[in-house]
Amino acid sequence: MSKPAKGDMKTDGAQLKTTKATKATKAKPGAKANDAIATVRQRFLVSADALAALVDKLAAAGTPAVAPAWTADGTTDATDATVAATARETEYRSVSGAAELALGERLPRLSLKQYFLPPTEVLFSYRRNGGGEVELTPAPTDFAAQVVLGARPCDTAALPIVDKVMNWDYADELWNARRAATTIFSLACGVEDDSCFCSAVFLDPATAQGADGLLTPVDDGYLVETLSDKGDAFAAAHPESFAALAAGTDKAATEQAERFRAAAGERVAGHLTLDHERLRNWLENHFDDPFWATLGLRCNGCGVCASVCPTCHCFDIVDEPESVGRGVRRRNWDTCQTCVFTLHASGHNPRADQNARYRQRIEHKFHVYPFKFGDVLCTGCGRCSRACPTSQDLAEILAAINAKAAGESAAPDKAGKASKAAKGADAAPTTGADS
Amino acid sequence: MSDLQDTARRLLDEGTVQVVIGWEASRLGARPVFVTSADDCDKLIFDTRCVHNLATFLNPRRVQVAALGKAAVVVKGCDAKAVAGLLREAQFERDAVVTIGVRCGGVVSEPSGLEPPELTSANVAARCPGCDVREPASVDFLVGEAQPEPPVTTSLNERIGELDALSPAERFAFWTGELSRCTQCYACRQACPLCYCERCIVEKSQPQWIETSPHPRGNFAWHLTRAQHLAGRCVGCGECERACPVGIPLGLINRKLQQVVHELYGYTVTDDPAVPAPIGAYATDDTQDFIK
Repeated sequence: MSKPAKGDMKTDGAQLKTTKATKATKAKPGAKANDAIATVRQRFLVSADALAALVDKLAAAGTPAVAPAWTADGTTDATDATVAATARETEYRSVSGAAELALGERLPRLSLKQYFLPPTEVLFSYRRNGGGEVELTPAPTDFAAQVVLGARPCDTAALPIVDKVMNWDYADELWNARRAATTIFSLACGVEDDSCFCSAVFLDPATAQGADGLLTPVDDGYLVETLSDKGDAFAAAHPESFAALAAGTDKAATEQAERFRAAAGERVAGHLTLDHERLRNWLENHFDDPFWATLGLRCNGCGVCASVCPTCHCFDIVDEPESVGRGVRRRNWDTCQTCVFTLHASGHNPRADQNARYRQRIEHKFHVYPFKFGDVLCTGCGRCSRACPTSQDLAEILAAINAKAAGESAAPDKAGKASKAAKGADAAPTTGADS
Repeated sequence: MSDLQDTARRLLDEGTVQVVIGWEASRLGARPVFVTSADDCDKLIFDTRCVHNLATFLNPRRVQVAALGKAAVVVKGCDAKAVAGLLREAQFERDAVVTIGVRCGGVVSEPSGLEPPELTSANVAARCPGCDVREPASVDFLVGEAQPEPPVTTSLNERIGELDALSPAERFAFWTGELSRCTQCYACRQACPLCYCERCIVEKSQPQWIETSPHPRGNFAWHLTRAQHLAGRCVGCGECERACPVGIPLGLINRKLQQVVHELYGYTVTDDPAVPAPIGAYATDDTQDFIK
């Protein structure tokens, strides 16, 4: 397979820097990561009309933007006025016009992940040429430039988190090439609900992590702040949309945007607080804790949580013949929540039940990934809780573990006894998470 | 819902069962709960948010649930049909589970909310209008007050009528669009009380009968197979559609299958396990028109 061009990696380097900047703020517990301000390059004012015109222009030019849009499918009809806005769903898709936009509405059904790790993609094609010779043709990585407008910060923030996995022991050409070809302007979020907890995982509703630009709603439109070379380049390419802030309005717009972001941050901060170091230690030392046996009961083992998750990145690899002697190798989304994920050819399954599989989900996100990469594999978007058919509630489960960890660290010399006492109390699994 | 709680408490106290599978209220709405102590029975609720088909948890392959011991399960009419389906297909003996039926006036399509919402034609689950088993007959206990009829809304049958009126090409285009969103996560299968196979055909790879890649070929193969395997077995509880993270209207496929099975075999899915399903019965006057 072809190596990604050096220029591509340079851009990724810039992305990772943003992550590091966020990480630095982690050292101060309680400090609000406000990297949006720290890395701002240019400010513009884009009116709602100008944004709509930009979306229409991009579509007309055959380079449609990816943006949150109302779904129009068999279950929810976006054109049906009798369907309440709260019952209508949104999804990221290439929009053919501004009329489809659903900016600042409900969180899109699937995360932005699909534009970097599609549910299925070809890795290479193969052909047997006779005499035992096999010809391999790698999938092309010369992706056309694409722009994402109005992404949720919790979706954008996931990308640098997954970058670390995709460039850990192997540089994933397809992921990196798609990342390099994409410019992302996210939209500061002001519509959190009970499942959201971004502020508990080092982020906030206006985090700049992973974004090339950030939109924040202000009077008559959006304050747009560019955060990378790609962001600057996109703004420069569309000067009619990105109006320079008139002298005197700069301060007012910036202050208004800051108030919007601070208010949203304050609202979501009340949802959940985690002590990550303590949480990580608890997870490391409680692999056999009886608490896990309370979590798999209601779990269907379907992995919807992983499908909708912006940071879950596991994939399965399959070879599919397309004719005699030729075919393709693909990778498809996979999830650790299914029984077959760890099933051995012998019939043995090291994760024998759903309790073990659910433990894996928590351990990977809040212990194993942090141990390896120094962050958490979660952006607090809450999709897993909203999409779960049996209403498994990740925020509630994390709060419960956090409380257990706090209880033990309050009496460190009695940790063993505390653990035994907890065993007794938890032996009767009457709820999914007895916080 | 003291009837429900009292029944559950008695069953646990007497040691008849070791776990009661029911619903509880949580901060995000109603959800399944596994009560193993009589002291916790006051958690049990039944209201318009109790959407989940709890018969799914009786699948003996859910080993973490089976490990709790003998179960009592709270069932709405549609859930009771699923229990009957499992009995019909010999998944467990009748006396291996205690069923507590609830009188049901319909449920909402999503179990969210801190308070049970009043049912309206806008929020009622698609399967509820016209329900034929609002008071399950085959249960061990029947609890709760008699409930009013669910509100009327656009029924699944009407939506199928609209699809049937389309040309085959238009219908194919409709389903191509719907199935294009499928990622083959199999949440539909996992939520289904009748999808209990130890190894699903989609996971058999020697040979690979169904391509697991979510491209049109793989998605059509998966959904056609899923539908065929549920013909005459699906109870229409709608859990597959509710579990789907991308909103594919699987309920339409399932209801259409029920219509076809009824036309061909005169069979209507029932909560009486003694009535055999066409897949498990033979009659000399069975239709043979499809054998060419």
